[in-house]
Amino acid sequence: MSQPVRNTLAELREIRALAKLTLGGYPWLLPQTEIRSLESPLDIDREVRAPQGIGAIALGGEWWPVYCLSGDLRLLPQPPDSRGICALLDNGADRFGLLCDQVETLAETPRLLALPACMGLPDSPIQALAPLDEGLGCVTDTEHLAALLATLAEGADGH
Amino acid sequence: MATENPMESTAWMLALDDRLRAAVGEHELIHLIEAPTLLDVPLSPHYCRRAILWNDRLLPAMDLAAWLGGREQPAQPARKLAGVVAYQPRMGAAEYGVLLLSDIPARTRVSDTQACKLPEQPTGWRDLAISCFLDAEIPVPILDLPFIFSGGLLATR
Repeated sequence: MSQPVRNTLAELREIRALAKLTLGGYPWLLPQTEIRSLESPLDIDREVRAPQGIGAIALGGEWWPVYCLSGDLRLLPQPPDSRGICALLDNGADRFGLLCDQVETLAETPRLLALPACMGLPDSPIQALAPLDEGLGCVTDTEHLAALLATLAEGADGH
Repeated sequence: MATENPMESTAWMLALDDRLRAAVGEHELIHLIEAPTLLDVPLSPHYCRRAILWNDRLLPAMDLAAWLGGREQPAQPARKLAGVVAYQPRMGAAEYGVLLLSDIPARTRVSDTQACKLPEQPTGWRDLAISCFLDAEIPVPILDLPFIFSGGLLATR
C-alpha cells in the first residue's frame, strides 16, 4: 500500500477543530470531522474480526473493524483496562474503530509545529506536533492511521 | 625568516556519554540547558525519541551515543545536559538542534597539525563526522551537524 501524502503545516492549520484521542497516555490529534461517533467498548462484537482487529461494531447496517493500538501505535491484541471508549473514524474512504483511553475535543486549536526532519521515519503517520499540557500531541488523520494499520496487519500476517 | 603559525580555531569538546567524545565549532554550540524537559515523540528513531521546546521552537534531542551504539540506551540520569546547537543547512536560515550530553562542554584550541584519522570504532563515526583531531593523543571527531539534523542518519542504518 502506498503511503499517504504528508500534509503541509499550512494545510494542517486550516483544520478547524481537532479531537484528542488518548492512547496509552499519548495524545493523538485528529480532525474532529473524521470522528463519526463514539461508542462503548461493550458494543464491540469480539466474534467479528478483521485481521489484527479486536472485534467490530455495527453501525448504519455495516461492521466497523475495531483496533487497539498502544501509545506508539503498535497493535495490541488485548485491550488494556484503561480503554474506555471507541472512536469510529471515517474519512469517506477509510472506516474503522479505535479503542481509546479518552476522547475529547480541544477547545482551541493548539500551535502546530513541524516534526523535525531527523525524527520522521518514512512510514510515520505523524504530520505535526502540538505542545499540550501533558506533553506533545501528535497530529495525524484517518488516512495515515489506515495506512499504518494496513502495514501492521501485513507485517503481522507475514510472521 | 618568519614562520607562519598553523591555522588555529576554537572548538567545544562534548561528552556524548561517559566514554564518547566529539567536538563542534565554537559558534555551533549556543546554549546549555541543565536538567532539560524532554518531550516524548512516538515512532521516532531510537536515538532521537525526544524533543525540547526552546524559544518557541521544537528541537530534536539527539542521543548520538545511542546512535553509535546502535540501540536505544536506558534512561540516563547521567545525560543531564542538553546542548543547543546551531547549524547552517544548504539553503535557508540557521537551524537548531539539541545534543544530549553527560558533562559540561569544554573549550579547546585546535590547530591543523592536530588533524588525524577518525576512530575505527564505533564505525558510525564515518557518518557523523566531517573530520577529526587529536586531543591528548585521543581522536576527537568533529560533528557534521547539518547531516545529523537534516535526517541524514535515517538513511544510514
